[in-house]
Amino acid sequence: MSPRSDFVGKRVLVTGSTRGIGSATADRLLERGASVMLHGRRQKDVDGAVAARAATHGNRVTGRAADLADRAQCRRLADAAGALDVLVNCAAIYEERDIAASDEDFWDIAIGTNVTAPWLLAHALLPGLRARRGVIVNVGSDAAYLGYANSSVYCASKGAIVGLTRALAVELGPEVRALCVCPGPAMTDMMGATPAERAASGAVWSKWTMLGRAAEPAEIAAAIAFAASPDASFATGSVIAIDGGAGTGRRL
Amino acid sequence: MGFDFTGKSVLVTGAARGLGLAVARAFHDAGARVAINDRSAERVTVAIATLGGGSRLVAAPADLADAAGCERAVRQATDAFDRLDVLVNNAAVNIEKPIEATDDAQWDLHLAIVLKAPFFCARAALPALRRSRGCIVNVASELGLHAIPNNVAYVSAKHGVLAMTRAMAIELAPTGVRVNAICPGTMDTELMKECAADSGDPAAYYRAFNAYHPVGRIAAPEEIAAFLLCLASPAASFLTGAAIPVDGGSTAGRTMPA
Repeated sequence: MSPRSDFVGKRVLVTGSTRGIGSATADRLLERGASVMLHGRRQKDVDGAVAARAATHGNRVTGRAADLADRAQCRRLADAAGALDVLVNCAAIYEERDIAASDEDFWDIAIGTNVTAPWLLAHALLPGLRARRGVIVNVGSDAAYLGYANSSVYCASKGAIVGLTRALAVELGPEVRALCVCPGPAMTDMMGATPAERAASGAVWSKWTMLGRAAEPAEIAAAIAFAASPDASFATGSVIAIDGGAGTGRRL
Repeated sequence: MGFDFTGKSVLVTGAARGLGLAVARAFHDAGARVAINDRSAERVTVAIATLGGGSRLVAAPADLADAAGCERAVRQATDAFDRLDVLVNNAAVNIEKPIEATDDAQWDLHLAIVLKAPFFCARAALPALRRSRGCIVNVASELGLHAIPNNVAYVSAKHGVLAMTRAMAIELAPTGVRVNAICPGTMDTELMKECAADSGDPAAYYRAFNAYHPVGRIAAPEEIAAFLLCLASPAASFLTGAAIPVDGGSTAGRTMPA
């Protein structure tokens, strides 16, 4: 398949793009001609992610560090990004904790990063997105429609981002489209810090899906790129499950 | 449960056993007149005797596989009671088969009994329901909300029931006729006991179904019947077009894979 060029001239911010699904999404959009601002929480991760792509994509790739649980840093990130065609809200925190172990700080950081930051970024970037008839793609999760045991805060955050997406679609149409891609388990650092840990939890999570495996980040990135592209020009408010069938049913 | 259906008339399809019988009993205990439908006239007679007989019970035997049978079931209820307040579309078949083992006749039977019969019963009952500003409760299934393997005809038909519930609710909303669906999880019915026996290891069969439900057990039919009465009662007067899981949490989510 020859590389497409449907993102040439498009300005994109992908939050949480130094690793995992965000990184794969940035790569896909860069390949298709976009100018992409990478984002991560730590400056050195951002510098590394930009440097790794500089030889191939030159000055189309930039980066900015920000802690999205901090509202002031969210606003500064939006200022740095400027007028955008595509905002991909991918950054998220996932940590398994039962309700008793989930204190208010844990709630505030997870909800702040997973829901408030996407809302703040959409809010701050709205004039540019409207002017450029842009797209907001939020990354949800199958946790938006399947309760996970011991992950109530994460589930609440992902349910909320679906609601945010639908509200944005209704309020911002026809100028701006808003969609939500809901991945099932994916082989990212959320699965574990080391390759061995990721392999072990990937094997466990493979039972979660009907395809008998967790997703590769590129498989989610493909759906995010589709949602952001002109191919999806009549889709808004859509909640797209790319979950290996996890939300479709169960096996006894 | 404290709901009073005195003076109300109810038709329950597939009421000779299982959930249908529990629903019929609950309405009867709540003061309603109840028409008992089943394919077998003999089973209807037994069910009426089981419920204690009397003037508030009437037999409405008919095979619901075609529209004429559905109309016959409804007519027996409306002729006996001269009114109808609640139609409970409960009758169903459920044969678990892999896709390639599902033949045309089984597919057609599931669609006929699970999906078409509720439509034709509703159509036949509608004049009486409009007059009484009554309601329809469709007994769907958690399998109207999601799927399991080896049950494609049933899952397809039950998903269809929910779509039909919404369509009828919208169309009938201005008339005051409410249409809702409940989506039960697995129940401990005669059918469950038969399936467990057929499996060769009944204890393991029950263990698997108990574990499938986050609450760790399957339902008693009476628990589902009690909820169904609530949907048919004035307590649910603003509810229409709903599909309510009563499934011990099985569609809400899952514990982590072990």
